[in-house]
Amino acid sequence: MAEIVRVRDLRKTFRVLDRRPGLSGSLLNLVAPRHHEIRAVEGVSFDLQPGDLVGYLGPNGAGKSTTIKVLTGLLVPSGGEVRARGMTPWAERERYVRGIGAVFGNRTTLWWDLPVIDSLELLEPMYEIPRERFTRNLKEFSELLDLGPFLDTPVRSLSLGQRMRADLCAALLHEPELVFLDEPTIGLDVVAKEAIRQFIRHVNRERGVTMLLTTHDLSDVERLCERVMILDHGRLLYDGTLLELNARFESNWTLKVDFDEEYRDASLPGLQPPLREGRQAIYSFDHRALPSAEVIQALLARFKIADLEVRRPPLEETIRRIYAQKLLLP
Amino acid sequence: MARSLRLYFRLLSIQLRSQMTFRISFWIDMLTTGLLNVSYFASTYLVLERFGNIAGWTIAELAFIYGMAEISFGLMDMIFSGFDPDWFSNFVRQGALDQLLLRPVNLFAQLFGSRFLLRRLGRILQGALVLAYAFANLPVAWTAPKLAYLPLVIISQIVAMGALFMMGSTLIIWTIQPIEAVNIITYGGVEMMSYPASIYSTWLRGLFTYLVPLVFLNYYPALFFLDRPDPLGFPVFAPFLAPAAAGVMLWLALRFWHFGLTHYQSTGT
Repeated sequence: MAEIVRVRDLRKTFRVLDRRPGLSGSLLNLVAPRHHEIRAVEGVSFDLQPGDLVGYLGPNGAGKSTTIKVLTGLLVPSGGEVRARGMTPWAERERYVRGIGAVFGNRTTLWWDLPVIDSLELLEPMYEIPRERFTRNLKEFSELLDLGPFLDTPVRSLSLGQRMRADLCAALLHEPELVFLDEPTIGLDVVAKEAIRQFIRHVNRERGVTMLLTTHDLSDVERLCERVMILDHGRLLYDGTLLELNARFESNWTLKVDFDEEYRDASLPGLQPPLREGRQAIYSFDHRALPSAEVIQALLARFKIADLEVRRPPLEETIRRIYAQKLLLP
Repeated sequence: MARSLRLYFRLLSIQLRSQMTFRISFWIDMLTTGLLNVSYFASTYLVLERFGNIAGWTIAELAFIYGMAEISFGLMDMIFSGFDPDWFSNFVRQGALDQLLLRPVNLFAQLFGSRFLLRRLGRILQGALVLAYAFANLPVAWTAPKLAYLPLVIISQIVAMGALFMMGSTLIIWTIQPIEAVNIITYGGVEMMSYPASIYSTWLRGLFTYLVPLVFLNYYPALFFLDRPDPLGFPVFAPFLAPAAAGVMLWLALRFWHFGLTHYQSTGT
């Protein structure tokens, strides 16, 4: 199938004015402005296939938002090629944005002073959504997102979680084929996060909407995405499945054991001596070289065991290792 | 185009409705801006009463030129509220421009529809009062060509001042911060238009003739309306350049705007 988004060697450089402090400084800024360049994105390439739900990860300032702003047609890149929905986003903005949706966790795309329902109704003429499709979608989404209790509340009076739900609904009413979610769960509590994740998954699965998700909450990614792209300092470090990422870069698994008796020496051949505390021991092992089943068998053969627990390092740690050790850099 | 207009009026009706919900603050705002501007003209009037004229212009003639500029500026400030550089810089900084760019709707329709300050009616009303005083006291024959040209001049003034607002806002797309220098051209230009151009020094007149051609929008048309000779020696058609000057300014402003937008850097991460 043909890709819905094709990005090749995308570059974006910002020119930023160096502000000098004080009155004389601001005069100098006016007369002889000094600039420096920030290379936010330096040669990023990737494709999105229809129906993809891809996690786009990276630390602050990695260039995630810049990529999304180029892909939503807000920014004109400094170089490279972008085709999305068969168009060049910034060049054919009005036609292009008709088929995309965008949600920004840190700001609303709704009208601040209007009640939620008026805001949503305003989207009908803007996107020229046929009336009966609009009503059908509004009904479905407001049920899924439970918008009912606050449809008549002005957007400015909503809680963060309510606002996010309203924004998600607004981004999807016109049935876009491509949706960008920039930190959709930022600042939300566990329950609200889960509701949003379920909704995202539902829309992706049931409607086949292609989605690019940036988030700092890696449990979003673990729950939703099979494929992730990792960006750092404007370059793509990794683009592949989450499974492969774990297989390649996950650090050691741990095995926590509660013994039935006191053992002075609890070490196993071929493994680092465990961390000990009373009747407890924590082993660390590379599961790629030594599957957990073998470790457990070796333990059972030597010791009397009450309880044991195998623990994988959280995705966060794997990703942190990638950034810190530049594991993916050539 | 028709769709953009429909959406503009829809956004406008939302604006007006929300402004009317705060009725008391609306009337107070309108009254105070009106009174403030009346007091400006009143102080000029008191000075003039002692001297009789400025550079050969009577009080009624001055009232005419001042009233025109006030009405036009008030109307422009109301219609082009969304392009007011001071407001626009906040708008951009809060990322609201991003929100408009995400909609499949003409950006101008959305920006015009983002703000419409009804309370500018205070200033417009005040200008109308001053203009009414001028009409009552001018010994001028209001021929059919003059009456036909008058609304055209007002529209040209609105368009020209609006173009200045637009250019000022385009600069903000780059700098994000408001620039005081922009206000010198916009507000300074309007101030300049409120008095006969012949009273200004040559360099200032040159600036507003050749660089920002505002003299063709109020001063020269006024010479025609008031049957006054041209002390500056421009061609006889100079009073009728107002629509052309406004058209050129608007065209340049639009080009500049589109150019500016391709250099938009957005805000935040």
